[in-house]
Amino acid sequence: MSPRVAAIAFVGGALLQLRQMGRTPDWFLAWCTTPLTTLALVALLMHAGRPDLAPAAVLAPVLMGMWSESLYVGGEVISVDRRAGRMDALLAAPAPFAAQHLGRMAMVSASSLALVPLAWVPGSLLLGRAVPVAHPALFAAALLLTAFAMCGMATLMSCVFVLARSARTVQNALSYPFFVLGGVLVPVSLLPAWVELPSSLFFLSWSGDLLRDALSATDVEAAGWRLAALAGLALGCWAIGCAALARTLRVARRTGEVGHA
Amino acid sequence: MSHRMALETRALTRSFRPRRSPERTALDGIDLALPTGGIHGLLGPNGAGKTTLCRIVSTVLLPSSGTALVLGRDVVDQAQQVRRSLAVVFGGERGLYTRISARDNLLFWGAMVGLGRRASALRADAALEAVGLADRARDRVEAFSRGMQQRLRLARGLIGDAEVLLLDEPTVGMDPVSAHGFRDLVRQLRDEGRTVLLTTHDMAEAQAVCDTLTFLDHGRIIAAGTPRSITEAVRTVRVTVADAAPEHRPLLQARGFETRDDGTATRSAVRGEVADHVRALTDAGMVQVSVVAPTVEDAYLSLIGERRTGP
Repeated sequence: MSPRVAAIAFVGGALLQLRQMGRTPDWFLAWCTTPLTTLALVALLMHAGRPDLAPAAVLAPVLMGMWSESLYVGGEVISVDRRAGRMDALLAAPAPFAAQHLGRMAMVSASSLALVPLAWVPGSLLLGRAVPVAHPALFAAALLLTAFAMCGMATLMSCVFVLARSARTVQNALSYPFFVLGGVLVPVSLLPAWVELPSSLFFLSWSGDLLRDALSATDVEAAGWRLAALAGLALGCWAIGCAALARTLRVARRTGEVGHA
Repeated sequence: MSHRMALETRALTRSFRPRRSPERTALDGIDLALPTGGIHGLLGPNGAGKTTLCRIVSTVLLPSSGTALVLGRDVVDQAQQVRRSLAVVFGGERGLYTRISARDNLLFWGAMVGLGRRASALRADAALEAVGLADRARDRVEAFSRGMQQRLRLARGLIGDAEVLLLDEPTVGMDPVSAHGFRDLVRQLRDEGRTVLLTTHDMAEAQAVCDTLTFLDHGRIIAAGTPRSITEAVRTVRVTVADAAPEHRPLLQARGFETRDDGTATRSAVRGEVADHVRALTDAGMVQVSVVAPTVEDAYLSLIGERRTGP
């Protein structure tokens, strides 16, 4: 398969997802919940007399929203296609299935970047001043790598949900435990020591720490190395996601099913 | 094997082993050779193996054993080339993104056959024109009737300019007028030189459009040929009477006719007995006696019915 055909399928998948998103308002649930969660968290900190923690309160709903979009929108792509009887046509098409699928996941991740202003604006309004972004380049780089990793994670999840008999239960179980593990709400350094090791293997913990530091006026320690670690984990997510997808498709061709009906 | 064959299978077998269930053979050593050009019908009851055959031919499913070639290319070893030369069109409510427009659907499927944006747009417009949906190109698919959705599926099959089209029960659920229009489109495709493989339960459709027929049952081919040769092989014809009076009933019933209150009576008869029946009925005063040549449906019922009820 030529790279050109794969690239066309990738873009085709991304555009398909964009067009579908425009006609599927329920896929934008995180766009509604993120500003409200931000308002709640910032109000809580202001009431507690800790407005200095407001940047973290703005960041947490963004990461939670990005994760939810990956899990509930990206993760369901294969399941929905299977239910709608589109899988056979996609698998029988000349372009690689994986290319269009990754294009769709990329669009889900890219659209979730809109959650940043959706949290930042209400957070700043409630705070009475703009939430500062002290290191914008680092913030942008960490955010893009996070979106990149989310894309790989969504691909992995889409395979898991196809194979799982109770996909909805798995989806629900994958939210808050991972927010804790990723230090989204509370920095991992404040959690019990045993959490640190699994947390350090999870890209969200590096994302959260880097993004929080990028908002802070103090110097960021070892930013390059930490970005490299995040990039490595993001690539790992992609590798695992792509491997899971390839295996799911192999099983589908061999067994005639893409999981349980 | 000749490369002039659109589809050629040799000892093609596919078994499934559902969890905690015994193995089930969906295709049992199928040998098939369908030439390029023309419309080739695959007929059979539910569970006969038609869809399994379609899925193997379209590279979606691996065979358990045997080979299948599309235009001389192996569906396992040369799956990529097969995908470029074959398009699958599903019936029912499958295969479309209903929340976006017809044109946007085709643009996506254009990308899936490797067409760039401009080429995709040109082909999408041409395909919509060909199936009579150009004026609804920007409407959401969910607002389309079943017939329109099916024409759009056909347009999706056309966008890659595939030489072989595999239509899996394309007119299922369509009203008669839409189905008639759809069959005209399929004939047009044949006239353009494409090969069409058509699976259907609709015997009238098979008789109307197919150049060759293959009957499948329990994963095996039980008959194959042209509609004419298939119907000629049927041993029975239908004898009907349209003017049976009440006094004719004893004779009709003695000869095995089903009689109705509206004065009609009918029975199937082997070809050698027809002259005797007709003579006896006309001698008794019935004049509206006709002998109806067997249809594909009669052939189907004869072939499948015999196997279902046993010898």
